[in-house]
Amino acid sequence: MTNPVIENVRRSLGRTAQTPLSPRPAIYEARQPEAIDSETFLNEVKKLSGVAQKLIPADIDSALKTLVTEQNIHKATAWETPYLRQLGVTEILNSLGVKLISPNASKHEMALCELGVTEADYLLPETGTLVLHSSFAKPRAVSLLPRIHLAIVHPDMLRADMHQVFAEAKDQNYLVFITGPSRTADIELTVTLGVHGPKNLFVWMLDG
Amino acid sequence: MSETPTYIGFEKYSEHVPASIPLAVQQATDRFVNGRAARVAELPQWEELRQIGSDIRLHTIENMDVYLMRLEEKVEAAGGHVHWAETAEDANRIVLQIAKEYNVKTVVKSKSMATEEIGLNHALERAGIEALETDLGEYIIQLAGTGPSHIIVPAVHLKKEEIAALFSEKLDINAPADPIALARIAREVLREKFLNAEMGISGGNFLIAETGTLVLVTNEGNGRMCTTLPDLHVAVVGIDKVIPDWESLTVFLKLLARSATGQKLSTYTQFITGPRRAEGEFGPKEFHLVLLDNGRSRILRDPVGRDVLKCIRCGACANVCPVYKNVGGFAYGSFISGPIGAILSPQMLGTQTARELPYASTLCGACADVCPVKIPIPTILRHLRRRVAQGDQFAEATLPAPIRAAASLASFALSQNWLYRFGTRLLPGLMSIFKREGWIPHAPYPLSRWTETRPLPPFTANFRSWWRNVRSIQKKDSSR
Repeated sequence: MTNPVIENVRRSLGRTAQTPLSPRPAIYEARQPEAIDSETFLNEVKKLSGVAQKLIPADIDSALKTLVTEQNIHKATAWETPYLRQLGVTEILNSLGVKLISPNASKHEMALCELGVTEADYLLPETGTLVLHSSFAKPRAVSLLPRIHLAIVHPDMLRADMHQVFAEAKDQNYLVFITGPSRTADIELTVTLGVHGPKNLFVWMLDG
Repeated sequence: MSETPTYIGFEKYSEHVPASIPLAVQQATDRFVNGRAARVAELPQWEELRQIGSDIRLHTIENMDVYLMRLEEKVEAAGGHVHWAETAEDANRIVLQIAKEYNVKTVVKSKSMATEEIGLNHALERAGIEALETDLGEYIIQLAGTGPSHIIVPAVHLKKEEIAALFSEKLDINAPADPIALARIAREVLREKFLNAEMGISGGNFLIAETGTLVLVTNEGNGRMCTTLPDLHVAVVGIDKVIPDWESLTVFLKLLARSATGQKLSTYTQFITGPRRAEGEFGPKEFHLVLLDNGRSRILRDPVGRDVLKCIRCGACANVCPVYKNVGGFAYGSFISGPIGAILSPQMLGTQTARELPYASTLCGACADVCPVKIPIPTILRHLRRRVAQGDQFAEATLPAPIRAAASLASFALSQNWLYRFGTRLLPGLMSIFKREGWIPHAPYPLSRWTETRPLPPFTANFRSWWRNVRSIQKKDSSR
């Protein structure tokens, strides 16, 4: 049983329910040999007004300390993933006197956080894009509601291009590409960061 | 912009465009044109991408029923609800029904042309439901009560001082005339709404049939708020937005932001397949997809005109259009402006309502050169002009009878050699009656429409006799 919209479409196209699908045109465009390297990725993030840097795991303590002090952070939330746990992100923030809110707390509580820490599921070097899944351990609001989004990433997450990411991720029920901090130019074409989403995007690439 | 217009008087509207609008619009279009050019230059395979983009869109249009059925099946398999809306009224009724069922009082909306098309905000307001636009530019024009002047930056015609005055009045605050401060005020006001609204409404840039996925592209993050925070997410999307699969999507994502804003990718691209999967997970509990026809299936009947449905709404055609740059978005009298509006509105609303729009163009062809999916806009404009002037199998002629009679007369005169020659001899004599100091400052109607703004140069020679002269001189030269 079909509906009137489909019926109208078929009638206009002169098709019936039995008309087979013609083959989709091939996507033959030459895929540029993308450089799968951290440098390209970090440079693109910087071009988008993000703050991007390379870190060794031993430096994460001092880097978080600087961030908390400079950005005046009192409340934070973070993804509860094995990678971030292994790095001890929540413990370090706790020791710096930052109050940690569960990433599955209510949206009103989450909105009070100044900092949200995530990792990434994939990275696209050509555009400086973070690709994030959504799950109970990886709530979407962590990269959305706080004023600052910090993504701690690893070179293993780099992919050549969108084709690769989609091949791996298309069965996820939610996926978001984050390419720089929230921006608008709606008032007199003046670029303004952080209009709704995070104003600051920090990306730390951990080597080793 | 909300109610379906009954007649779009492009000519009259463009006469009343304030001088500030073309100035502001041109600043925006110049920026987007330059940004686009820079991004396109970086991609050596750009023309190849456009061709594939065009091929895939055409393929999808020609097989639309199959892809729509697949889409419905996949969205439902992912736990979403699919609603089919034949008309704008159907779509509004469906959304209102969902809102009533869940006792919704406040709706947050991310920018969507489909909801502008159906006038959803008015329908919600009439039902006593607060509907807030949350894209900064859309929020500003909603407060101001006007339509968009540009597809990407809808409030570009307003100065920061005007926006400050608007915020001060409507929000009862003292707003400074500073873009960054104004954006911060909007962030705070709307943050409260995002957190408390029961329903979020979005449009959609693409619908992937392969997995039943809604793709939503935004820069500000308001689209993420609307589709993440409220318990209910309703997406209203035209049936033309369906694409076959994720592999096809790679092509359109590469084309869209580069063509629209000169970005490689917009800040946020979301891929939403049904509601959240687990209890307690962040995200909406319910996902409703309203698939809107509203005339699209009728457009499919016309093999020339239906190319308009390939459009991915980037706005590049408007940015390069000399007519659009001089009149701005309002003159097009509908939710969609620029060259694409000039070929969509007459097909969607009919050539009775929008018969002036196919003429809102110089046919210079710049729009077709930049279109990321190669819509032959000038060809469709001429096709629709013919429909307006002569009628075709889809609609009767709608040009007023006197103009039609004048056009047939001209057509007859120009096709008869003797009559044409007679006319060229007659005209200089006729014109000399109005000649003053070598010019014609005032001519009788309808030529007065020209002389109102500038004098008309009189005919001083006729081409045929001039050509005969030149030829005889050349002959003399060559025989010497």
